[in-house]
Amino acid sequence: MLEVKDVVKAFKSGDHTIKPVNGVTFSVGQGTFAAILGKSGSGKSTLLSLLGALDKATSGDVLVDEVNISKLPDAKLTAYRRDDIGFVFQQYNLIPNLSAKENVMLPMEFAGVSRAERSVRAAELLNQVELTEDMHDRKANRLSGGQQQRVSIARALANRPKLILADEPTGNLDDETGELIIELLRSLSHEKNTTILVVTHDQALTGKTDRKFRLARGKITEITAS
Amino acid sequence: MSVLARSVGNAFRNKVRSGAVVVILAVAIGLALSMLVANQAVADRITSLKASVGNNLTVNPAGSRGGQGGGEPLTTADVSTAQSVAHVGSVNGALTLRLSSSGTAAASATAQGGGQSGGPGGRAADGTTSLVSAVDPGTLGNRASGSTASNSSATATSGASGGTGAGNTAARAGFSIPIEATGINGSVNAAGAAINIISGAALSDFAGTSAQALVGSTLAAKNSLTVGSTFTVNDRTMTVAGIFDAGTAFDNNAIYLPLVAAQTLTGQTGEISTMSVVVDSIDNVDATKTALASALDSTRVDVTAGSANLDSAIGSLGSVQNISLIGFIAALGTAGLIVLLIMIMVVRERRREIGALKAIGASNRSIGVQFVIEALVLVVMGSVAGAVIASFSSNSIVGALVSSNTSTTTAAGSGRRAALGAAGQAAGQAVGGGTRFQGSGRGAFAGASQLIGTVSTSVGWQTLVLGVVGILVIAALGALIPALLTAKIRPIEVLRGE
Ligand SMILES: Nc1ncnc2c1ncn2[C@@H]1O[C@H](COP(=O)(O)OP(=O)(O)OP(=O)(O)O)[C@@H](O)[C@H]1O
Ligand SMILES: [Mg+2]
Repeated sequence: MLEVKDVVKAFKSGDHTIKPVNGVTFSVGQGTFAAILGKSGSGKSTLLSLLGALDKATSGDVLVDEVNISKLPDAKLTAYRRDDIGFVFQQYNLIPNLSAKENVMLPMEFAGVSRAERSVRAAELLNQVELTEDMHDRKANRLSGGQQQRVSIARALANRPKLILADEPTGNLDDETGELIIELLRSLSHEKNTTILVVTHDQALTGKTDRKFRLARGKITEITAS
Repeated sequence: MSVLARSVGNAFRNKVRSGAVVVILAVAIGLALSMLVANQAVADRITSLKASVGNNLTVNPAGSRGGQGGGEPLTTADVSTAQSVAHVGSVNGALTLRLSSSGTAAASATAQGGGQSGGPGGRAADGTTSLVSAVDPGTLGNRASGSTASNSSATATSGASGGTGAGNTAARAGFSIPIEATGINGSVNAAGAAINIISGAALSDFAGTSAQALVGSTLAAKNSLTVGSTFTVNDRTMTVAGIFDAGTAFDNNAIYLPLVAAQTLTGQTGEISTMSVVVDSIDNVDATKTALASALDSTRVDVTAGSANLDSAIGSLGSVQNISLIGFIAALGTAGLIVLLIMIMVVRERRREIGALKAIGASNRSIGVQFVIEALVLVVMGSVAGAVIASFSSNSIVGALVSSNTSTTTAAGSGRRAALGAAGQAAGQAVGGGTRFQGSGRGAFAGASQLIGTVSTSVGWQTLVLGVVGILVIAALGALIPALLTAKIRPIEVLRGE
């Protein structure tokens, strides 16, 4: 269960402040597959960063399973990011000098998973996002954009988080591969009861989600099927 | 993929930069280790020099050095005063005399009546002897005797109504190096060291009327003396009790007389020129030195441990020790600073990546550890290369430091100094200060540098290990600050562009 209550994020740029997120309130139940839509620069990435505890909201509360992450101390936040959240960055943000597999193993290493187990699970996840075996040991900076995007998705799934925040997860993929990722996310939400929030412009992806929200002028509204 | 493997990998991410950093670190660390090795070698040398002095102190009249200088003579009363000072074991008073050969003296004796011809340095002889000096004055000796000799001969020849030309030649031919006679009270010399008797026996009759004498080996050979032979000192006929060997031709051109007899013969009753004091334990040497000086009135006497040469040797080695310590610390600090700056640069460069690591759940600690290890990888490589550099350069650095601080006029000395020029400049540049290691002890005696000899460095592995551990600690401190900086980087940095 994810509850967002009147969250505001203000940035100071020069002499005026901008508020890409200005009083956002919504909630989604566990296992929901939801999409957030909005124009470029409308604050979608900013909102995700607040939900993923990458940044602190200027005001308002984010509750994950009744725990207010806006009030957690730093050590607890680290554990929250590690164990409860899977973040797929818009820019992928893989560690460039590590191999695809090592990148996927990284969150498990932080969680204290044994080396052998890490290796097996990383290979499994990379196969799920259809990254062929010969790519597993390739350095991240030698992978194509779409390959990096899939490694980034595999990394987000590594610690079996209960909430996945994905920023444009199909942005760089062809229709077929995109379809595969959409199915993967959908099955996670429905079979593993994982809450999934995707930011997307992809119509195919939007069509498969349970709920859709639109972010505009700092406010969020649910798009109800009419 | 462990933190360690990741850190090692990161250390080689920018190979050109890492290579350059390792080279610079190697130079700084090599220099630091060389300085440490120098410091240890010099410290060892000081200890052995001090040990070689043992627990002997020497008391001289203030302002004198050897037979030169002024001041009031010491007396036998001073010997008993010294004896009563705490921790003093034994005291040996000695009287050093210069005896001129009677052949020379005779020429001027008629004119001057005093029977004392000039000697080198202008010091008058204390008496005459029938012995002929075994050391040929040579060009140096004649030059040193110089004007005084010809002046006195001028007086002598005019009185004797001879031709001036002839008189001059006579005086020149007659001049000889005076023979040193030392009045002693036992079987040790003025410096408190045992006399090495090669035939005959030590002095046994120490009365004022004693006719015993010890003769140096070369002097004995020159005068065809054996044990039991006789010669004269002033008007007393002395008998050779033993023949000694003091090591050098000059030191063997000397005789030992019983102290009181020496005083009586030269009319210096009760006077002595030097005292050697044996302290009961080496730990009490410094305290006893102070106590002796105050008991004997420090304005009147100088109390020294060992010889003046030894003091200056230890003094100049001490300054080498200080310089090398400063060099060690400076080079160590430089190494730490290099690590600090390079790691700050690396942290700034990887802000975004650090943000990503935090966003996927890395703790501040694991990121900090990763950066410290990365820095240590660079330092370890620099240390290994630096140790190699040090093992090759430390000997010449030590030699250069020591010789520059105990400059001698020998060719070897200046050769070493030239070597220092290069080493010193390299050092100066690496350390970032332009200071040449030169300095204080320039005017030290050749004797001091002889005492110092070559300070050899056995690159003790303990020393190197100690140095490397010291460097690792400094480097870890240098790496710690950048590592702590990573804690300030927030996960949101991951979304920011470069
Ligand atoms: N650190 C910041 N300082 C100042 N302004 C910021 C900062 N981060 C984001 N913004 C501004 O907030 C607004 C929202 O940015 P955000 O990245 O959330 O947009 P977005 O909806 O993800 O757009 P896109 O679809 O192009 O990714 C933009 O106008 C951006 O300039
Ligand atoms: Mg965005």
